[in-house]
Amino acid sequence: MASGRTAMGDKTVIALNLKGVGHAYLGRTVLDGIDLAIAEGEIVALVGPSGCGKSTLAHIAADLIEARAGRIDRGYRRHAMIFQEPSLLPWATAEGNVAFSLKLAGVPRRERAGRIVETAERVSLLPEDLKKFPVELSGGMKQRVAIARALAVRPDFVYFDEPFTALDVALRRRMQDLVKETCAGGQLSGLFITHDLQEAARLADRIAVLDSHGKGVLGVRIVPSARPGWDDTAVFDWVQSALKHDPLFRHIHDVDERQIA
Amino acid sequence: MPKILQQSLFERLADRTGRVLEFLWSGWAGLAALCLLAAVWQAGHEAYGPFILTSPVETLRAAGALAADPDAWTVGLKTLQRAVTGFALVAVVGGALGIVAGYSPATMRLASPLVTVILGVPPIAWIVLAMIWFGGSDATVRTVILVAALPVVFLGAARGIVTRDRGLDRMARAFGAGPVRRFVSVGLRQTTTTLFPALALALGTSFKVAVMAELLANAGGIGGALADARINLDIANALAWVVISVGLLIVVEYTLIYPVKGELDRWRRAAQPWGIKR
Repeated sequence: MASGRTAMGDKTVIALNLKGVGHAYLGRTVLDGIDLAIAEGEIVALVGPSGCGKSTLAHIAADLIEARAGRIDRGYRRHAMIFQEPSLLPWATAEGNVAFSLKLAGVPRRERAGRIVETAERVSLLPEDLKKFPVELSGGMKQRVAIARALAVRPDFVYFDEPFTALDVALRRRMQDLVKETCAGGQLSGLFITHDLQEAARLADRIAVLDSHGKGVLGVRIVPSARPGWDDTAVFDWVQSALKHDPLFRHIHDVDERQIA
Repeated sequence: MPKILQQSLFERLADRTGRVLEFLWSGWAGLAALCLLAAVWQAGHEAYGPFILTSPVETLRAAGALAADPDAWTVGLKTLQRAVTGFALVAVVGGALGIVAGYSPATMRLASPLVTVILGVPPIAWIVLAMIWFGGSDATVRTVILVAALPVVFLGAARGIVTRDRGLDRMARAFGAGPVRRFVSVGLRQTTTTLFPALALALGTSFKVAVMAELLANAGGIGGALADARINLDIANALAWVVISVGLLIVVEYTLIYPVKGELDRWRRAAQPWGIKR
């Protein structure tokens, strides 16, 4: 696993490869010349200031938007996506929402119930929660259902599109732990979009920094997450020193309100 | 088999029975309102005399006499048939057009002025035209219903699509739903929020317009019976026919629209604290 995480050598299997990807909204270029490769079993965090086109890139990679330029090779079998808003169907119960992705994935009806229970357990959803409608669930519970919906289809690649931005600090930590636990098996690869470097360092194997104006990936840093004692203190120290000394991270907290996503 | 599924059939049944009982229980409020109306009606009767306004009891007696008459049933069912087929026609045509316009801004831009034009033409003008085209037949009544109720159904359907949550579309797409799947499982369902009030309105319009068209086009049905009552100055019979046509509308609305709406709106009720549900 470690070999796949660090060096993108010849032997690693590439789960996702973006080459020269570009995109424009109404003639305005938002992304240009993006190269990014994610190996199997690896989580790459994509950070950058707000409005730099991170989400757009994730949507292009997940085939929600068509890229205007470049090449996208998807080596994975099946992807799932977790959005910033839970995006649950309001008319379906939590169970129905998880079943929705299973239905779309073509899982036969009789297998669905078992898969739902199994996945709900993984994200600590109680059976009584499964019967509730999204309106009856708190923000954290809704996001849990969204995670369950993504994991139920047994994806080997997950797109995280700033999934925890809207949650409060304590809840965000719990959700991050949840993601860490579910990815611990190493079968899961993922692209984690965030503007929180702390979050990126906690979850990812590598951190890629996107240019403020979407003109390419500025650089990639390997997170020493395999190191023994990689706890919160270590993450904090690493982030602080990275922000202070690494020029790559100099602009990630820049905010330009005029720029729209 | 997992536990949650074993319980679910019984639970679902109990849930549904509970909802039906709750719904029936809410009928008391409707009954109270009707009694209030009857009281005002009775007061009017006592003030102006039976020739101007027959008493509610007298009217109900006349309605009862009509209910015992098989010929009256034929008349009532004729109107019912026309109103319901006309409503079905407008629901399908208006709904389909509205959904297309909701997805396609160009169609919407073209259709909006047309809707205004249709809204502006008085239904009575359509009755005259339809009479010339189709004579005193079912087609006349259906055409007038279609024209009269089309704008509201169209706007209801279009509004539902336009105001849909695009995040859900994106989510469905991320999980591999094609355009048809997205429309059926996500788009269509969201239309119901605005489409159902529009359909309820359209159903009421269908009955009113059906009776009116029948009366003016001399096409039989309840409208025809009302015309006869007018010729005979038979107030009791005229009011009895009005009661019957309103009764038919209520029956259709509560057997056709409300059960479907209740089923679709379960999640909305789940959000309400129990005190508001009554």
